[in-house]
Amino acid sequence: MGGLGQRIRSLAWLSVLELYRRKDLYVALVLTAVVLVPLSAYNVFGVTGVVRHLREVSLLLVWLFSILVGISVAGRQFPPELENRTIYPLLAKPVRRWELLLGKFLGALLASGSALLLFYLGFVVVAGLKQGIWLDAVTVQAFLLHLAFLLVVTALALLGSLLLTPAANVTLCGLVTAGMLLFGGQLAGLAREAAFPANCLAWLLNLAGPHLDFFDLRQRVVHGWEPLPLGVLAAVLLYALCYTGLLLGGAAWLLHRKKI
Amino acid sequence: MDAIALQEVGKTYANGQAAVRRLSLTVRSGEIFGFLGPNGAGKTTTIKMLLGFFPPDAGKVAVLGGDPRDPAVRRRLGYMPETAWYYPFLNVVELLRFYGGLCGMGRTAIRARTAELLRLVGLEAAARRPLREYSKGMLQRAGLAQALLHEPELLILDEPLTGLDPLARIQLRDILLMLKRQGRTVFFSSHELSEAELVCDRVAILRQGELAWCGACREVAGDGRQNLERIFLNMIGAAPAVAGEAR
Repeated sequence: MGGLGQRIRSLAWLSVLELYRRKDLYVALVLTAVVLVPLSAYNVFGVTGVVRHLREVSLLLVWLFSILVGISVAGRQFPPELENRTIYPLLAKPVRRWELLLGKFLGALLASGSALLLFYLGFVVVAGLKQGIWLDAVTVQAFLLHLAFLLVVTALALLGSLLLTPAANVTLCGLVTAGMLLFGGQLAGLAREAAFPANCLAWLLNLAGPHLDFFDLRQRVVHGWEPLPLGVLAAVLLYALCYTGLLLGGAAWLLHRKKI
Repeated sequence: MDAIALQEVGKTYANGQAAVRRLSLTVRSGEIFGFLGPNGAGKTTTIKMLLGFFPPDAGKVAVLGGDPRDPAVRRRLGYMPETAWYYPFLNVVELLRFYGGLCGMGRTAIRARTAELLRLVGLEAAARRPLREYSKGMLQRAGLAQALLHEPELLILDEPLTGLDPLARIQLRDILLMLKRQGRTVFFSSHELSEAELVCDRVAILRQGELAWCGACREVAGDGRQNLERIFLNMIGAAPAVAGEAR
């Protein structure tokens, strides 16, 4: 196991460097700033309670861009290696395939996680300047769960990149992510109330699909509600870890069997 | 000890096509070995088995006395692919730092070895330029540098002359001879028969996945009626057609 840490670090470093040397992230940050700065500077249309709207828009942008960054960073970990044939010198080094997967996963997570941190810093600054509250417990929880969300999405996109073409992977991951974020909470009700066979599908999705809706604390942050009880927070984090483990296990199996 | 030992190795792809058939071959430690054959002869498949990318369906592959799938074996070998478009957002110094990290080298060792290798492959002046600005020949040199980085005992080169200009070919030849003087083993596949004849101790010719001929280059050179090109054309069954074209 000697040098495992160094190998993983090297692989992860490559992914982080790639994100920061490509311009995509800066475009997302500039776009966020372009929307948020005017919103935070003026009381648009004289709306009362504008701070709440500002927080809502800010968080929506943070979520939107974090999904884009998370899926695109994780989704392009393997396809360029195969396309550019750099997978060969990589696997000719003393690197096991599961180490390669782990390094790529951690690198993608670190890259999109650091981008998320930048987005949240922007959000905290904007909300702090407008409201005077710089950081509260619920925002910290929202960030933590958002990070857990990225954990699952990164593993999902990595797994998809070993099965599908890059375009199909990004599209499918985007659909699954958006679908589960928007409708994941309604699946249990649908499974109870819908007619056959829709109820079976809803039941299956509710049971096996990634409940990304668990990680979304936007409403609590926007309305200033109480933070989640610690037990619930821990359970959701554990759910993220287990689901990520399952997805990575599948990806490791696929990579092990993949004809290089 | 043999650097490479293939015993009755066979590989058949999922579509039923046999890529390599009953291939037996040994490469002695310290020699430069040329692996020749036309396109589709099974050279790359053999190299992939030597690197442990997949196991053979039949027979046994031993590299440096062990199984190439074992990372401890791979730590002792270097590999340069035919064409690889290395990470365009890195420069060659960062590329070597990355590969050095994968090989478990320390920072100081990587730095010292990087300076040495960039001099050797002639990339010193372009060391800080991003790889996306490199020509194909420069990428080949970067590929050679990454293969030599951890001072491997065995170097496997897949078509190393692709994209190299005449000067770079001479430099590569000198590097291979220098490695031989250092006691390292070089195994390379090529279409360039004249280059193989110049640097190789022995060559093997592969035809449709089978070993058609294996022998010492010195023997060929000593026989006035033979040269490697003639042997190659005879072995792959192309000699009559070529002769006909010449007429």
